[in-house]
Amino acid sequence: MVPDAPRSPSRRSLLKRGLLGGALLAAGGAGFLALRTGKRVAPPAGGLHVFSESEYGVLDALAHRFIGSLPGWPTVEEVGVALAVDRIAEKTEPSVRAELKQLLGLFDNALAGFLFGGRTEPFTALPSAAQDRVLEEWRDSRIAVRRTGYNALRTLVLAGYFQSPLTWKPIGYPGPDDSFFQPDAPVWFGRSVPRPEGNGVYHPEDTR
Amino acid sequence: MSGRIFTGKDLVKDTEVSADVCVVGSGAGGAVLSEQLASKDLRVVMLEEGGYHTRSEFNMRESWAYPALYQEMGNRATDDQTVLILQGRSVGGGTTVNWCTSFRTPQRVLDKWASDFGVQGITTAALTPHWEALERRLHIREWPLEAMNRNNQVLWEGCGKLGFSRGLIRRNVHNCADLGKCGLGCPIDAKQSMLVTLIPDAVEHGLDVYANASARRLLVEGRRVRGVEAQILDASSDTPTGVTLTVRAKTVAVCGGAINSPALLLRSGLTGRGNVGKRLFLHPVVIMSAQMEQPVEAWNGAPQSAYSHHFIDRGPERMGYFLEVPPLYPMIAATVLPGFGAAHQSLMQRLPSTQVTIAITADGFVPGDVGGTVRLGDPKERRVHIDYPLRPWHWEAFRDACEVMARVQFAGGAREVISLHASPVRLRPGDDIARLLAAAPWEPGRVRVATAHQMGGCCMGKDAEHSVVDSSLRYHDLDNLFVVDGSVLPTSLGVNPQETIFGIARLRSADVAASVA
Repeated sequence: MVPDAPRSPSRRSLLKRGLLGGALLAAGGAGFLALRTGKRVAPPAGGLHVFSESEYGVLDALAHRFIGSLPGWPTVEEVGVALAVDRIAEKTEPSVRAELKQLLGLFDNALAGFLFGGRTEPFTALPSAAQDRVLEEWRDSRIAVRRTGYNALRTLVLAGYFQSPLTWKPIGYPGPDDSFFQPDAPVWFGRSVPRPEGNGVYHPEDTR
Repeated sequence: MSGRIFTGKDLVKDTEVSADVCVVGSGAGGAVLSEQLASKDLRVVMLEEGGYHTRSEFNMRESWAYPALYQEMGNRATDDQTVLILQGRSVGGGTTVNWCTSFRTPQRVLDKWASDFGVQGITTAALTPHWEALERRLHIREWPLEAMNRNNQVLWEGCGKLGFSRGLIRRNVHNCADLGKCGLGCPIDAKQSMLVTLIPDAVEHGLDVYANASARRLLVEGRRVRGVEAQILDASSDTPTGVTLTVRAKTVAVCGGAINSPALLLRSGLTGRGNVGKRLFLHPVVIMSAQMEQPVEAWNGAPQSAYSHHFIDRGPERMGYFLEVPPLYPMIAATVLPGFGAAHQSLMQRLPSTQVTIAITADGFVPGDVGGTVRLGDPKERRVHIDYPLRPWHWEAFRDACEVMARVQFAGGAREVISLHASPVRLRPGDDIARLLAAAPWEPGRVRVATAHQMGGCCMGKDAEHSVVDSSLRYHDLDNLFVVDGSVLPTSLGVNPQETIFGIARLRSADVAASVA
């Protein structure tokens, strides 16, 4: 039997409803663990539009775990994954950006790590194998909002990586046939200019 | 007298225009309606929140297509992120990016609407002449078996071997070159989307289209709507420019689709006695991924050409579902396939020989299935709250469908099948599929669920206490407001929805026209 699935809290109030936590985190917010900061990575040359340097560091660490390092694949650095995610996030609405920033902060927050997993090190300061265990904890958590967090971050990072055509070769994806793409095709705006002939124009006698 | 297609670039100061009918939305509903009204010499103004993108931009790359042609850049989802929502957002709406699958509405669905919701006049007999006209105009016909791609063949052959009913899909294409990139915009206009067919037809008859115009509010006075207020968006950044476009109209037709239409009504204070935003149906989809011996290359060829409706009726207490296949492109495959690190890379390396089957569940039929809801979010933002709780009947259907799909894939020659659980269930030929799947976690966030078909939110029906619009698609409590899109469907369909929406819009265009007089 499949039990009636619990309602997951809204992503809009990830912290408030999901972690009881709002209060707990606030209470402990000034404590030692909450102030432990993770490793920093140098920000990208083009500058960050959405994320802070520490959030960028978390994204970069996540990218190195979500994306493997099998031979033949472009590296996280070659694609510029964390930067790509920053630019994707830039096009989202303010509430989405705020949630993403919260989520990244929570991921690296040592107090949250301690409460969830008994760790006292921020995510970015953990060795790779321990980082993978943290990801698995979020993925398999009984708390729905943590699974939501895992899925959201994973999707974002993978989208940031696989948007790059550098990934096509290791996939074995040949890419589209560019001979069919016509950037100089006429764009019709009406205004009594005759509509250009094309496949969308109807000719009743053409019954193909 | 030809109309014009404007974009956000053309409107640099607050503008007011007048029309007989203002149509909000340019997808399957809005486009068909506009073409019918414009051809009757009514002055029609169409508002579309998304951009005017044409084949001059359709480079068949996901990194361009998702931000330009999909709601929330392809990241729309239920609030809890459990259901990924693929929904179009540009001139042509969903028809610009869908996979061309065209089904007439099943009789049993129309019968249910008549018996349970008091829907009148939306019958097979009434719709048939409209479907026939549209099928001619949009070149809708069966895709030949000999042209079927390998991805579809696995479903076709697997169903054949297991004795499951199967059929060939009809597609709205003309001079199709089999490029397989329908979901990213057709670069040769072969797809007979609204973007290249009925919208330009209507512009030739005088329709004015305003792209990058986000309708924010209906202007309601007493029992009448007087027009629509829209925010102009910058065509490149998609953010408001501060310019307002006001359309004064004798009649307004809201055609924004199953999520954005109810949201516009709610923003305008129209709650439909509490029914607006209710009964949201999504055709929730579960997915199974198979490894084949031979190349599949599911990015080539007509994305959908085979289907099975064998499991559409599993009795009144259980959700039915139907089987189809999706195209695979790298970004969507990477985000949908499970796992991370080297394991995920290994799956991606096998993408060329990966076959994927989807089961599309028909919601709104099991007793008590009232679907999900759309609610308003921050009034300053365009994003709305979408809730779609997954109930016990969903999980039962998902598990059953995954078992059936694995059987079909093995019958079609798969050497391994995986579920799209966050920790996938791995199945080999000869495994006890039912037992292994039963042991998997069927809970939100642990298995990928998606939707490409959004329906409901402005339910059609006889009784104003339980529906939003009447059988003519008129808002119950106003004289001249119509909703003409997938949001009026009282249940889901059990088939891909575009032709149902085309047909109902064309049938009811006469009612919209009559309200102008």
